[in-house]
Amino acid sequence: MLENAWTIPLFPLVAFFLLLFGRKSWGEKAAAWVGSLAAFASLAVSAGVLAERLSGAENSLLSFSWLTLGETVIRFGIEVDPLNALMLLIVSLISFLVHVYSYGYMKGDGRVPVFYAYLSLFTFSMLGLVVSANLLQLYIFWELVGVCSFLLIGFWYFKPEAKQAAKKAFVVTRIGDIGLFLALLLAFWYTGSLELGPIFAAVEAGQVPAEMVTLIAVLIFVGAIGKSGQFPLHTWLPDAMEGPTPVSALIHAATMVAAGVYLVARTFPLFEASPVALDTVAYVGAFTAIFAASIGLVQNDIKRVLAYSTVSQLGYMMLALGSAGYAAGAFHLMTHAFFKALLFLAAGAVIVALHHQQDIRKMGGLWSTHPGIGWLFLIGCLAISGIPPFSGFFSKDEVLASAWMDGRPGVFAVGVVAAFFTAFYMFRLFFLVFTGSFRGEGNRGSVPKSMLWPMGILAVPAVAAGFVEYPTPFFSRWLTEGTGLAAEAGGTVPLWLPVLATLASLAGVALAWAMYVKRVLPADDLTKPIPWGYRLLKNKYFIDEIYAKGVVLPYRWLGAFLRGFDRFVVSGLVRFSAGIFRTVGRIGSAIQNGQAQTYALVSLVGLVLLIIGLTAGRLFG
Amino acid sequence: MISMNGEFIAFFLLSVMAIAGAVFMINFTRVVHMILALAFTFLGIAGIFVTLNAEFLAVVQVLIYTGAVSILMLFGIMLTRHRDETRDGGRPWHAFLCFLGVGGFFALLMRIIYGSPFNGETAKTETFSVSGLGESVFKQYVIPFEVTSILLLVALVGAIILAKKERS
Amino acid sequence: MPVSSYLALGAILFCVGLYGVLTKRNAVMVLFSIELMLNAANINLVAFSKYGLYANQTGQVFTLFTITVAAAEAAVGIAILFALYRNRSTAEADRFQSLKG
Repeated sequence: MLENAWTIPLFPLVAFFLLLFGRKSWGEKAAAWVGSLAAFASLAVSAGVLAERLSGAENSLLSFSWLTLGETVIRFGIEVDPLNALMLLIVSLISFLVHVYSYGYMKGDGRVPVFYAYLSLFTFSMLGLVVSANLLQLYIFWELVGVCSFLLIGFWYFKPEAKQAAKKAFVVTRIGDIGLFLALLLAFWYTGSLELGPIFAAVEAGQVPAEMVTLIAVLIFVGAIGKSGQFPLHTWLPDAMEGPTPVSALIHAATMVAAGVYLVARTFPLFEASPVALDTVAYVGAFTAIFAASIGLVQNDIKRVLAYSTVSQLGYMMLALGSAGYAAGAFHLMTHAFFKALLFLAAGAVIVALHHQQDIRKMGGLWSTHPGIGWLFLIGCLAISGIPPFSGFFSKDEVLASAWMDGRPGVFAVGVVAAFFTAFYMFRLFFLVFTGSFRGEGNRGSVPKSMLWPMGILAVPAVAAGFVEYPTPFFSRWLTEGTGLAAEAGGTVPLWLPVLATLASLAGVALAWAMYVKRVLPADDLTKPIPWGYRLLKNKYFIDEIYAKGVVLPYRWLGAFLRGFDRFVVSGLVRFSAGIFRTVGRIGSAIQNGQAQTYALVSLVGLVLLIIGLTAGRLFG
Repeated sequence: MISMNGEFIAFFLLSVMAIAGAVFMINFTRVVHMILALAFTFLGIAGIFVTLNAEFLAVVQVLIYTGAVSILMLFGIMLTRHRDETRDGGRPWHAFLCFLGVGGFFALLMRIIYGSPFNGETAKTETFSVSGLGESVFKQYVIPFEVTSILLLVALVGAIILAKKERS
Repeated sequence: MPVSSYLALGAILFCVGLYGVLTKRNAVMVLFSIELMLNAANINLVAFSKYGLYANQTGQVFTLFTITVAAAEAAVGIAILFALYRNRSTAEADRFQSLKG
C-alpha cells in the first residue's frame, strides 16, 4: 500500500477537474457524489497506508528529478513516515466527512459544483502538502492551500465582509509565506539541497552555522505563524469565518491552519538544533494560547468563538513543540482536528437549524428540539475542555507535561490558565446555545441527515482518540520511531499535573454554569468593575485597529504617493514623449495641406538650411 | 568707394523707384493699384538698364513688361475676378513663416554678395551697341534664338488651347 | 559703381517677389511676383555684362532670351489661370488643394 501512496492526492485532483469542467451541467447531487467519492478514495488509500505504517513498515520515499539547476537536482517526491501517514488520514477523513456534510449545508446555493471543485482542490493541495518530501514542493502546496482558502472564504463573494475577509486572509498569510520562502532560500544556500533529509543531515553534522540554523528555523516559524494564525498574524482567522461553515471546519479548524504546526513538526530537527528557535516557538505559542482564549471569552458570534478557540489551541500545539514535545504537539494536532471539526460541524448544524443566525445571544434552548446536535456539541466541548476521558484531556495533558518537564513553569502556568479559559468559553457557548429558553425569533428548522452522520462519525475519535496514548504511550513511540526524537519528556510526570489541569477545566465549566445557567453570578457584575477590560477583550485588544492605523494606513499613503507619482511623473513623461511625436505629426500633416504655396515655403526653408549647412564653414567661420 | 557721380545718383533714384514699386505692389489691396505699382517697378528696372549701358534692353523692357505683360495681367485680373479687392490675411502663421524664410534667404544673399570679392573691371561700354547685340544674337546664338521662337510659338498655341472655352 | 550695389538691388527685388509668390492669395498676383523675380535676375545679368570678370555684351543677349521666355510664361500662366478659373470659379491660390494626397 505504501508504494501507492502517491495516488492519494490524485483522486481529489481528478475530481477537481471533473467538477471544474462539469460545473455548468452537473447538478448538486452529482457534484457532491464526485467530490465525496474522490475524498473517500483518498481516505481508503490513506487508511491502508496508515495500517501498513502501524504494522511497522519502513519509511518510504518516492521521488523523481524535476529540475536540474547546474549541479543541483531538485526532486519532486512523496515521503511517508509516521507523521505523514497520520496527517494523510486526518486530512482525508475530515475532508471526506466535510464533503458529505456540505451536501446538506450548501443545499440550494446554486454554485454547489464550484464549491465542491474548490473543496477538492483544497483536499488535493493539503494532501500534497503533507506528503511533500522537499521544501520547495511543500512551499508550492503551501501556497495552493492558501489560494483555496482565499477562494473558499470568498465563496460568497457578494457579501462585502466575505470579500474583505478573503483578501485579508490572503494578504496576512502571505506575510508569513515570505518568511517561509526566505527560510527555503537560506536552507538551500547553506546546504545546497531542498530535500528535508539532507538538510537535517547537514544541520546535524554542523555544516550550517548555529545562528543560521536559528534564522532558518525562526523564518520557518514565521511561515507557520501566518498559516496557523499565531500572534501577531492571527487577525485573518476569525474573519475567515465569513466563509461557509464546512469550509471553516475543514480549512480553518482541522487541516490548513494545522499546516503551520505540521510544518514546524516536519522540520523539527532544525528547531531542536536551535534553543532560541524553540524558545520563540514556545513563547509565541503560549502567548497566542492565552491571548486568543481571553478574546474568545466575550465574543458573541458562535463561529468567532470557535475561531478564537482554534487560534488558542494552535498556540497550544506550538507551545508543545517549543517545549520539545514533538509527539505532544502532533497528538494535540490530531485530537484537535477531530473535536474542533466536530464543533464546527455542530455549529454549522445549529446555524442551519436557526436559519443562518450566528449570534449566540439570539439562541438558546436548542436542547429540547435538537438533542442530537446538543449531544455532539457537548462531546466536542468536553473534549476541548480536557475533561477525562475525552481525547482532549490526554493531549492537553501531554502538552502541559512537556512544558513542565522542559523546565518552563511560566509557559506551563499560561497553559493551565488558557485551559481554564477554554473550558469557560466553550461551556458559555454550550449553555447559551442549548439551555435556557429560545431568545431568537422564528421557528427552528430541521437539519438534514447528511449533516448529522458525519458528525456522528467524528464524535467517535473525538471521544476515544486519547486512548492511543493511554495506558501505554503507543502513539508517541510510534511517531518518534526512527526519528531520533524523544518520545516523551524524560523523567516521570508528577501526578498532580493532570489533576491540576482537570481542576482548572472543571472550574471553567463551573463558572460558566454559574453565570449562564444558574445566573448566580451575572456577567454584568463581572464586567462592571473593569469596563475597559471588557471593551478591550470585546474589541480583540484593538489589534485590527492598530494594524489598520499602523500598517495599512502608511501603506495607503505610500500607495497614494506612488499612484500620484505614476499618474503625474511617469504618465507625464509618457504623455510628453507621445505629445512630441503627435505635434511633429500634426505639423507634418499641416504642411501637407495641398497648397502649392506651403510646399514652396517648405522648399525655400529647406534651401536656406541647405545653403547654410553647406557653406556654414566658409560664411561664418 | 562710392563716389557721388551721376551714375550713383541715377542708380539711387532708380533703385528706390523699383524697390518702392515692388513693395507697394505687395502691400496694395486694390488690384489695379498693384499693376500700376508693378509697371512703376518695371520702368525703374528699365532705367537701371540704361545706367548699365543696355539701352536696347531698356526699350525692350518698357515695351514688353510695362506694356504687354502688364496689360496681359490686367486682362487676367479682369477676366477672373468679380471683386476688386484681394483677400489677404487670415493666415498669420503662414505669413510669418514666409517672412522668416524669405528674410533668411535675403540675409544669406546679402552675406554672399558683400562677402565675395568681385574683381571684374568695367567693360569697354563704348563697344556696346545694338548692332553688336544683333550680331551676337543672330550669329553666335542663332540656335537658342530659333529654339526660343519655337518656344514662343508653342506658348502661343498652348495659351490659345488652354484659354479656349471648352465645349461641353 | 561697384557691382555689389546692382546685385543687392537684384536681391531685394527677388526677395520681394519671392515673398509675394509665397503669400499672395490671388493667382494673378503670384504671376506678377514671378515676373518681378525674373526681372531681378535680369538686373544681375546686365550688371555682370558691364562689371563682370569678362565683361561683354553676351549678358544682354541672355537678358533678351529671359524676357522672351518670361513673356511666353506670362501668356501660358494666364491661360492656365483661365482654365482653372473656369473649372473652379476661383482664382485664389490657397483654394487649389488637389496636391493633397
